Formats: sequence, C-alpha cells, structure tokens
Amino acid sequence: METRLRALQEEALDALEHTSDSASLEAFRITYLGRKGGQLTALLHQLGGVAAVDRPRLGQLANEIKANLERRFEERKQQLGAPVGKAEQQQTDLSLPGRYLPFGSLHPITQVMEAVCSIFESMGFAVAEGPDVELDHYNFEALNIPKHHPARDMHDTFYVTDSLLLRTHTSPMQARIMEKQEPPLRYIAPGKVYRCDSDMTHTPMFHQVEGLLVDRDVSFADLKGVLSSFCARMFGADLALRFRPSFFPFTEPSVEVDIACVMCGGQGCRVCKRTGWLEILGAGMIHPNVLSGVGYDPDIFSGFAFGMGVERIAMLKYGIDDIRLYYENDLRFLSQF
Amino acid sequence: MKCTVSWLQQFTSTRDLTPAQIADRLTLLGLEVDSVEELFLHLDAIITARVETVVAHPDSDHLHVCQVNTGSETLQVVCGAPNVHEGMTAALARPGVVLPDGTKLKKAKIRGVESSGMLCSARELGLSTDHSGIMDLDSALPLGLSLRKALKLEDAVIDVDLTPNRADCASIRGLAREIAGVTASSLKPLVDRLEPLTGKDTGFTVTIQDPTLCRRYAARKLTGFHIAPSPDWMQQRLSAVGMRPINNIVDITNYVMLESGQPLHAFDFGCLEGQAVVVRTPQAGEKELVTLDGNTRALTADTLLICDSKKPVALAGVMGGQNSEITDKTTEILLESACFDPVSIRRTARRLGLPSEASYRFERGVDPDLADKALQRAVDLMVELAGARPDPDGHDVYPGKKPLLTVQLRLARLCVLLGRDVSGEETQRLLTSIGFAVQEQEEGVFAVTVPSFRMDIEREVDLVEEVARLLGYDAIPATQPVIFMDSPEETPMRALCRSIGQNLTSQGFYEAINYSFVAPDHLDKAGLPAEDPRRQTVHLRNPLSEEQSVLRTLLLPGLLENLERNSNFQNADIRLYETGKVFYPRQEDEQPEERMQLCAVISGQRYPHSQPLYFSGQAADFADIKGTAIQLLYRLGFPLKSGSQNGISFEAEGLVQPYAQSGVCLAIRAGERRLGVLGAVNDSVLKAFGLRQTVYFLELDLEELLRTERRGKRFTALARYPSTNRDISLIVPEQCAAGELLDAVLAQKQKYVESANLFDVYRGKPLGAGEKSVSLSITYRSAAGTLDDATVDKVHNKIVQALMKQFNARYREGVGV
Repeated sequence: METRLRALQEEALDALEHTSDSASLEAFRITYLGRKGGQLTALLHQLGGVAAVDRPRLGQLANEIKANLERRFEERKQQLGAPVGKAEQQQTDLSLPGRYLPFGSLHPITQVMEAVCSIFESMGFAVAEGPDVELDHYNFEALNIPKHHPARDMHDTFYVTDSLLLRTHTSPMQARIMEKQEPPLRYIAPGKVYRCDSDMTHTPMFHQVEGLLVDRDVSFADLKGVLSSFCARMFGADLALRFRPSFFPFTEPSVEVDIACVMCGGQGCRVCKRTGWLEILGAGMIHPNVLSGVGYDPDIFSGFAFGMGVERIAMLKYGIDDIRLYYENDLRFLSQF
Repeated sequence: MKCTVSWLQQFTSTRDLTPAQIADRLTLLGLEVDSVEELFLHLDAIITARVETVVAHPDSDHLHVCQVNTGSETLQVVCGAPNVHEGMTAALARPGVVLPDGTKLKKAKIRGVESSGMLCSARELGLSTDHSGIMDLDSALPLGLSLRKALKLEDAVIDVDLTPNRADCASIRGLAREIAGVTASSLKPLVDRLEPLTGKDTGFTVTIQDPTLCRRYAARKLTGFHIAPSPDWMQQRLSAVGMRPINNIVDITNYVMLESGQPLHAFDFGCLEGQAVVVRTPQAGEKELVTLDGNTRALTADTLLICDSKKPVALAGVMGGQNSEITDKTTEILLESACFDPVSIRRTARRLGLPSEASYRFERGVDPDLADKALQRAVDLMVELAGARPDPDGHDVYPGKKPLLTVQLRLARLCVLLGRDVSGEETQRLLTSIGFAVQEQEEGVFAVTVPSFRMDIEREVDLVEEVARLLGYDAIPATQPVIFMDSPEETPMRALCRSIGQNLTSQGFYEAINYSFVAPDHLDKAGLPAEDPRRQTVHLRNPLSEEQSVLRTLLLPGLLENLERNSNFQNADIRLYETGKVFYPRQEDEQPEERMQLCAVISGQRYPHSQPLYFSGQAADFADIKGTAIQLLYRLGFPLKSGSQNGISFEAEGLVQPYAQSGVCLAIRAGERRLGVLGAVNDSVLKAFGLRQTVYFLELDLEELLRTERRGKRFTALARYPSTNRDISLIVPEQCAAGELLDAVLAQKQKYVESANLFDVYRGKPLGAGEKSVSLSITYRSAAGTLDDATVDKVHNKIVQALMKQFNARYREGVGV
C-alpha cells in the first residue's frame, strides 16, 4: 500500500510538470484529485481495507501526499496564470478566541514575599530561613523578653511544650544568625509565623520578613535610609513615610514605619482608621542585651532590625479586604494575581 | 488608655493645640493614638436664648407660651417646665435639631399654639439626670451662643494605645507630662500638700511579709462618709474614658487611679479582724478566696494576698475579697495605696483570667513614690465629695525604697547611634523637660538621674531613645550605611523552591498555601495505617480548634480540601501545588524535624480554563501527572534514567502510598533513595474528603531531591548529517510493559541509535486476546556521515531480533523495513 501511494505521488508530480494551460491543468485535477474517479481518491478509499494496525500510519502518509499534490497543483495554477477563484479561499475568523496552554501563578503571598526579598537582596542582604517550631529561648529570651514580661501579651503564642512553641515572629532569626558569625552582616529572613488569633484581620498563621544589618557605627539614620529606600521601591517613590517611636523589647530606639494610606491618599478612611497612615513595618536599633547575648560588644557594634507582615502588604497592594482569603486557596482568588 | 483634653489641661497647658494636634504630638512621641472623639458635639446645635415673655397657654393649666430671643430673632416656644420665667437665659433647641435620645424637633402646634423649638432640661441634653426643670443658664452669656461653648464643653476623648514599656503613661498626669514636655509648659503636682503618715495611734497595724513582693503599703481610715452618686463632672469624666460610675467612694478610687496611675482599694474596716493588714502569701490551709464578683478563686503558694490577722481579704493588686467589700452598712473604710511586685500580680491575674485596670498597671509597674500622693488625693476627694472624715494619721510602710537610678549618657555615643549631631544643651533640655535630672560629669558625659516613674529606663540606650523621640524622628536624617560589598549565595532550598514555582506555574498550576496545623483526622481520611510513622504528630497545647491542633505530616490532605472547596464553587478543573514544611516529632522538648515537601494535584479537564472551542472534554489522566513530574525534574536539571543512563527513575512497586490507587502509582527513585510518589488518589480517600472526581497527585521530598546530583548544562554539537528512521511493530503479551521495550532498545547500546519513541499501542482484531501490538520508531544517525540503508538495516535487524527474543514477541509484516 505504501509503495502504491508513493508511486502514485511520483506519477502525479510528473504529470503536473507536463501541464501547459488551464485545460490540461483541469484534466490533471480530474485524473488525480477528482472527487469522483480521481486516482488518489480511489486509493484513499482502499485504506479502509488495510489492517487496523497499519491504518493510522498509512492514513497519515496518504493525507500528506494529498496535501502535497494539492499544494503543487495550486502553485502550478499560479505559474500558468490560471484564474483564481474556483478554489475556495478559507476565511480566517479573526474574532475567535486565542488558543493557549494552561497557565498558573504563584500565591500572592509568595509574590509579595519574593518582591520584598529581591529588593533587599539587591542591596546585598543574604536570605536565611529558620525553624517554624522554635525554642522559647530564641523566640523570647534571646530577644530581651523574659518570662512574665508584659511584652509577651503582644504575642498570642501557640505552645507545643513549655520550651517549644510556634514562632510568633521571624525575629528569632536575629539571634540565630548573629551567634553564627561576626559582623559585618546583613540578612533577611522570610517565613511563616503563628499567633492564636483569628478574625477578619488575623489568621493564626501568617508571613513575615525579618531583616537585620550589624556593623560598627550603624546608626538610626542608616535605618531610616535603608527602610526609606525599601518603601520607595515597594510602594513608589512619591508615597509619604512616617517614622514613629514605638516599643519592641529587642530594639532601642524602636520605630514603626507608616506609609500614607494607599486607599485614601492620606485623607482618612476606614482602612487607615481615619488617621491617613498605614503601619507597614516595625524596626529599631538592636538592643544591647540582644547584641551581648550573642557575644557582640554593644559599645563596638550596632545595628538595626526590622520586620514586616507580608499579608498586610499584599492586602494594601492588591486591595484585599479579608485576610482569610489567603488560605482558602479558591481559584477565583488565586487566578487574580 | 483614654484621656480627655480637659483632664489633661487640669495638669498642664495644651497651649492652642486642637485635640487632633494633641493626638498627633502624642503619636509622634511614641504614644500612638488610636482615635480622637470630640465630646458633646450635639450641643453645637443648641443655643443660648433669653426668655422675654411668659404667658399661660390658653388651653392648658401647666403649659406656657414664651417669646424667646436668640439674639437674631424672636421665636415662640411652648414650654411646660415649672421654672420657666421671664428674663432667664435658657438652652434652646430649634426645629431640625436632633436630641441625644434621637428625637428630631419640628415646628409644631401644641394644643393649637405654634411652637418653634424647645427649651431643654439638663437630662434632655444628656448632661445630667436633672429633669426638675429647664436649664437656667448664666444670664451674662451672650445670646445665640452654642451650648458647647457656653458650658465650656469643647472636650475630646483621646484613646492612646500604650506600649507595655510606658507604664508611666497609664495615667492622665503621665500623658500630661509628655504634653508639658512638647509645649514647654509646667506640670502641676497631683496634690498641693501631703499630710504626714507616721503610723502612730492609727488603731490598726500594717505588716509586709516580703518587701520584694510589696515595696510600699500606705493606708488610711475614713469614717462619716455618705455613699451617694458622684457629682456630674466626675461621672462625665469616668464615662468619657470608658468607666461606669457606681457611687462616690468607688468612683473616687477609680478616678484617682486614672488620674495618677496608682490603683487604690477600699476595704470595709469593720470586716478586718484584729484591726490588722498583713501583706503575705497563703498560709497552710488557705486554699481559696471568694472575690467581689462572687467567684471562688483558688490560691497558689505564690498568690500575693492582703489579709487581716486571721484570713485573706483580697488578692493583692487584682481584686478585693467579698468578705471585706464596702456595703450599705459600711461605716468605716480603710483606703489602700500600695506598690506590688509586677511579676507576682501578672501571674495571679493570668492564672485566674482576671485582668483589671489595677492589675494592668501593677503588671507594668507602678511608681512606688506615688502611693502617698495618690492616697492624699483620694482622701481629699472623699472629704470634699462624700463628707468623709479621715483619721488624722495613717500608715505608710515603705521597706522597698531605693535610691533613684543614675545612668551615664555619652554624647558621642548618642550621636553615633542617632546618626546626627545633638548638642549637650539640647540633650539636657530635652531630658529635663520630662522629669530627668541631668548633670554634666565631664565634657560630653552626663549623669542622668531617672525619675521613679520611669521604670523602663535602665541604661544608656534607653536615654538615646528618649532624646530621639523628643527630638522627633523626623529630625533624624535618612542616610545609607557604608558597608562592605557582598554577594551572598542563595540557599539551595530557596533556589529549588523558586525553580519549582516557575516550572509548575508554567505547566498550568496555581500555588496554594495551607495552614501548617491541621485536623488530626486528616491522617484517618488519608487512610494511613496505625503503624505509619506519619501518624506521629506534633500537638499544639493550646490550639484554636481541634481542626487546627496538630502539625501536618502530609501536604496532600490540605490540597484535597482545597479541591473540595473549589469544586463546591464549580471549579472542578484544577492544577494546584504547594511547597511547604511537614513536621515529624523527635524527643519531647526537642524541635521536630521540619522537611520541605512538594505536593501537586491534577483533577478534572486536562486543559483547565482553556477555550472549550479548542480543548473541550479531555479528562486529565495518569500520563498528565507523570508528564508533569518528568518536565519538572528534567527542566530543573535532574538526570532521568533512560536506557543505560543513570538518573531518576519511575518504578512500579505496588502500593507505594496507602492513599494511592492500587496499580496507578509509581515511586520516584534516585537509586536506593525514594524521592517521592505519583499516582491516583484511591476512592476511599476521595470519598473521605468529599470528592467525586479522580485526582492525580505528585509528592516529592525536596530534602531528598536536593541530595540528588544534577546534570550540568553541556553543549552537544548539532548533527551535520541527516537521520534515518525505522519503524517496528511487535506483538507482545499484554503483561509486557510498553515502556520496557523502549528501554530495551536503548539498553542494547547499538551503534547509531539516537533515540527511540513509542508511537502506537494497539489491542483488538486481528490480534488475539491477551496480546497487543507496540509500535516503535527508532532514529539512527552518524556524526561521521549520512548512513546508507544497508548499514541502518543491519543495526535495526539486530535490535528487532533481540527484542523479539527478550519479550517473546512476534514481528508484524509490512511495517517498517
């Protein structure tokens, strides 16, 4: 069968060479390609009789030959200046939808976390990651938060045992990083954190990015500079910033950084509780107790640390109004980012 | 902590700052203001007006018809108050005004006489409970003035969200001190004079068992008081800051606590046996105390108590006992003003779940130097407002008195840490403005004496913060640190996760993030047998709910729940993946093993969300998840086993996971190590998760994957000569795996074989039952030149013969060669 197909093809191509006008061309069409009695058509009909195993392959070959002959016929017709028109030019319906392979996307939290990390990485910060189940020591003690300190009220902690807990912030990475190496150093530490709290604005698990920079003579002005650069790249250079004194047991002086409300532009709205400002990150100069706890001399070295909530940034960036959406993994939500 | 502007002004001048500006200053001092609420705004619409004439209503024996002058017009108002009289200045609500009870005034006819408004009583305006008549205002007031101005009620409540370090600002006077600092005003003392308390002839004793738990205890006895409601101004202030007025005695203790920061407690002195106050922990046999709220509270060895000579009468600093509560029958009270240990109070308040305004302050630290002043302030108010007669003397036991702390501040270090210059004079001025005493010891070094109320200031850096916040953070420049250049390497796991994300999203997957804690029944639903090590989980001691009580040991259940949720919302065609940690417990008190894993699931249509015009109705099958795995691993640079080439292999090993469907599951292996599994989720697991459609899954342990060597990228020269194909169809027994034929071709390592592909698997006539035909296409190529047919045929025949022998295959005529 294959041999017959190939032989017919050669014969037909030869005949096509010898056509000279539109009449002989039409004769060729009827002989080989004609719907009734054309030789190729006849051969195609016989395909039904071949063994089923061979049918797909031979069918494909036959179709290729047919397509080839038809194309050569059209070319010859052009060459001979035969009037176009009889062959139906298939209209392309340009309004039909495009065809694409399926695509997905990263979770919005991952996207924002990567955006935050890449800004700091471009400033030379290294990335470190730590355990989710943390020792009380790193989560609290090493951060100048002893047992029975009221600052523990700021953290609704999930406990596993007396000394093991789910980290309530990414700050334990400060001590973990510093005790492994000498300054100068600059690191960021993204990760999951946990607090027993759940409502419209709190989920029991969320994400933070921690950062720290330690060297000789690092100042509060440096903290302002680095965090201003970050905010300018993350939220836009013309957004107003506010540095406001605050309290964290592991930094002194401590600061909270607000950006002008992205929803109302600082006029005051429900999102910013009518203040015109949105708290975006907490920071401060690393407390001398934390530094000496890891063996650094606080009279020689100083540094700053900062932390931010990824969910909150993503909410502000994308206008998401319910934090619980992040963990329902509803495609109608995920496919928006 | 809430305060009102007028209360602040009692202690310092706020200059011409508006409430919003005061709030702003506080926020920028680190005392973050949550809200500012203007008070008595409804009184803006009420105006002063003079009653010019009063005549009896023609159709009523108690109503009057008044002509009322507002300064700009004269209105006729019908009034029923007995005290209305000509010439009085009254509070007029005109039509359109809404009263505090919600009534909207309209011009109306009252028994046939037109009335344009209403003259109001104090109760109608929400100013007091007085409804005996209309308000009789000062006749010197100008007419038409808003009542808010006339009564000087332009007040506002400022709500400050205090950080735990600023115990000193848990009081009106503490906040006033900060305002006085910024407005350069003076701060008035809490009391003008202090009556000395010597402890002689007091008729009672005070004993402190352990001065570390109670640094100071002052107390004074009062008699002759009458218990009644507090005056309106005190009730208004208490209500404004969120405290419910009760009676004058209770209100005064609360009022002084808010004002000064010193919690006070009043005992019924008659209930104190032995006329004794003993501050101590429980004695043998003292197991419980019934508190004011009627609840029985268990005592522990470290619960600090106030006792009389026999029994406990209060949980120190937390709540009073019922046995010494003030009642209608009380004739003598003992007023306590003490300073307790923060940790002890915190423990008791926590243990009993009894946070109170008092414990809030004690936990954070109450200024021990305040006890006598606050006591004096309360005594003064009780004399003034309740007619009390204090005993001439009282006790003030102060065993925990300590000298004030002096901290050294080096100006040079201050400037380095802030990153700007600050002069010595400026530093001195700023610190002095909020109560520090500053002395220059030597050039650029100051001895700073910390006032007793600033218990948060312990070292130099604390003073640096004080200077910074008083200076204003805005006054510190933003600079870039000068630091070494570095180019840190990314951790391999992070890089791997990023590559996985890029690869899988390009294969149509969305990334999911699920909680690390899950319901324990996930493991039952996933069909894990009792002995499965993944049944050993890390339990949370205080989960929010049973559904979130153990740390996950598997990612798949979370994704199955996501599928269920999505199919409930008519999104059954889905590709979803998660990279995240699973947790395997180790020894008690040892951190669990945290392993990064990947799980991906496919369900529903092969091409989710594509145009149905092009891709309708093709259900995803096993080949889709296998293809996902191959593309992922290959593009990530892991070598795949093929023929004799070593690499990651997919092996059928029976039921590799209890949740996989028998016969539709492959282990992913790198030699001896198992990296993961892929397959179909079995029916009972699907049912357990409420799913009615087939789900294919891929699991990879990323820690194991990272230990697998990757093939580097290496260039192979492009072929210069054409290839030749030869097809071959063999009939083999049904149980023979088609993929093995392919492997066998490559395993022969014949010359010129470039690649081999399957292109058809056929079952049915004319083949016999239990047979199938497998068609392969083999590509031959030489790097040295174009192969001639004879050479290719020779090799091809060798391969075919070997295959037929190895697989007990028959050769099909008419195909290939």
